[in-house]
Amino acid sequence: MTNVESQNILLECKDLLVGYGKVLPSMKFPFDFSLASGTVVALMGENGCGKSSLLKTFAGMLTPVAGEVSLEGKSLTEWAPRERAQEISLVRMSSAVPPRMSVSEFVRLGRSPYSGIFDSRTEEDKRIVEESMELLDVANFANRPIAELSDGERSRVFLAEAVAQQVKILLLDEPNAFLDIPRSHALFRLLKKIAEERQMGIVVSTHSVEYAERYCDKIMVVNGGTVKEATAADARKAGLLDWTETFE
Amino acid sequence: MRRLLIGFIALVILIVLLCVATLCFGAVNIPFSSVVHALFSPGADVSSNILWNLRIPRMFAAILAGASLAVSGLSLQTVFRNPLAGPFVLGISSGASLGVALALLAGIGFGSVGVLGSAALGALLVTLVVMFAATRFAQTGVLLIVGLLTGYFIDSIVSVLIAGNSSESLRVYVAWGMGSFGRVTLGDVWIFVAAVLVGLVMIGVSLRYLNAALLGDDFAHGLGLNVKRSKICVLLGASLLAGATTAFCGPVAFIGIAVPHLAYLLFRTTNHRVLLPGAALCGVALALLGGLFPASVPLNAVLSLVGVPVIMWVLVRGSGARF
Repeated sequence: MTNVESQNILLECKDLLVGYGKVLPSMKFPFDFSLASGTVVALMGENGCGKSSLLKTFAGMLTPVAGEVSLEGKSLTEWAPRERAQEISLVRMSSAVPPRMSVSEFVRLGRSPYSGIFDSRTEEDKRIVEESMELLDVANFANRPIAELSDGERSRVFLAEAVAQQVKILLLDEPNAFLDIPRSHALFRLLKKIAEERQMGIVVSTHSVEYAERYCDKIMVVNGGTVKEATAADARKAGLLDWTETFE
Repeated sequence: MRRLLIGFIALVILIVLLCVATLCFGAVNIPFSSVVHALFSPGADVSSNILWNLRIPRMFAAILAGASLAVSGLSLQTVFRNPLAGPFVLGISSGASLGVALALLAGIGFGSVGVLGSAALGALLVTLVVMFAATRFAQTGVLLIVGLLTGYFIDSIVSVLIAGNSSESLRVYVAWGMGSFGRVTLGDVWIFVAAVLVGLVMIGVSLRYLNAALLGDDFAHGLGLNVKRSKICVLLGASLLAGATTAFCGPVAFIGIAVPHLAYLLFRTTNHRVLLPGAALCGVALALLGGLFPASVPLNAVLSLVGVPVIMWVLVRGSGARF
């Protein structure tokens, strides 16, 4: 566990209501949330409860129905898009991939927020791309088209791209949906490690209570239109996980 | 890296050879020495006349048209994420046809601006319709349909105009519709050059967007790109390139849709830093090759006759049938 005093608040929400349009917000009650550096937060809830909308709102891709999201003390709407892209990245495993693009070309896109008008890459960029591919163990198939990869391999490639983007806040939408058990454990260990080493804040949506309790610092649950949060150790006692076993 | 270097060098050498061939061969047989002489010290003789008034303008037209259509096609395929997209899909070529048809067949006051001006006006009109659709609808699929429908609509108007016409102007219209690099003159080639340069710059400054757009607008947005602005910039640039080419050379099909695939098969990358210049060079080479055939054969027929087998062969041989 990281020293609390050294933590910075990276992302902060006040009275946030999330949803598509003003008519049907996914959430009934506004909530506050803050994401500190060096922590991993698991985002849980049933399908369709609004996890993805929540992550999109954090990433600035969806305008909140009410309330505000601020990134490092400045409202998300005030950030220039390119500077925001250097701070925050949302990784979605369901993105459609272009059939011809190779793994290294895709990971290389992660340096796009830092590139000039002609989208060139410096030696430093190339080094970071290489490192990211090594870290996610995708370097050995760097030249294969992403479209030909297995779902698990592709998930790691998507993560490598986000790591190459060198953001402080990483938002992951069900990254272990397609991963086998050993790789899921490895992924969550990796998330914990990079969160601590690079002082990143990570929000990861997942359906796995086991990984959430074991590897994450906090658990955030969207259920019945409300958002609740507790430390991973207290979540079960606080009744945050009751919904997982009461489906009829 | 080596693949890129070899590819670019080979293309440049091929283009230089094709340029020399364009200057040396034609309806009138001019010996090579006379061509060289006329090129470096133009006089009032027949050789100089043919070279400077026919062959050099034709060479420029082929170079500009080839590069424009290829770059326009590539950027449209990327933005629409659709391997079938091309300048024709946006209805731009149809728009130019409408302008020309209205001027020639219906005699609607374009007499003063000429065939060229009316083609440009028609292309501009359709571009505005498509731009309007682009700002209204986020989905590229809708835009594609709007472009196609506009094209069909315009084609029918043109058909109606043709049906009620049997005059000399119909012959001119049909000839224009076949496409040719032989209509550009040294006097107006500068307008063509300027339009192409502006179009290329508009697409060139959107390189970051084009590379990210392959993954979709949400992804590009996540990389900090101004998706809406970049998209409009690319679409306007692509329209300008296609519109200018259609105005000067008539509707030239094929290059826009096929050359981007050829460029990918040569360079094996999705990076537009390589692909854009690569496609431009491939387009230039193909256009020059097509332009070498006698003027009596329609350009569109030549381009497809030469191009389709080549691309089919590359697709099948190169196991590159990956869209």
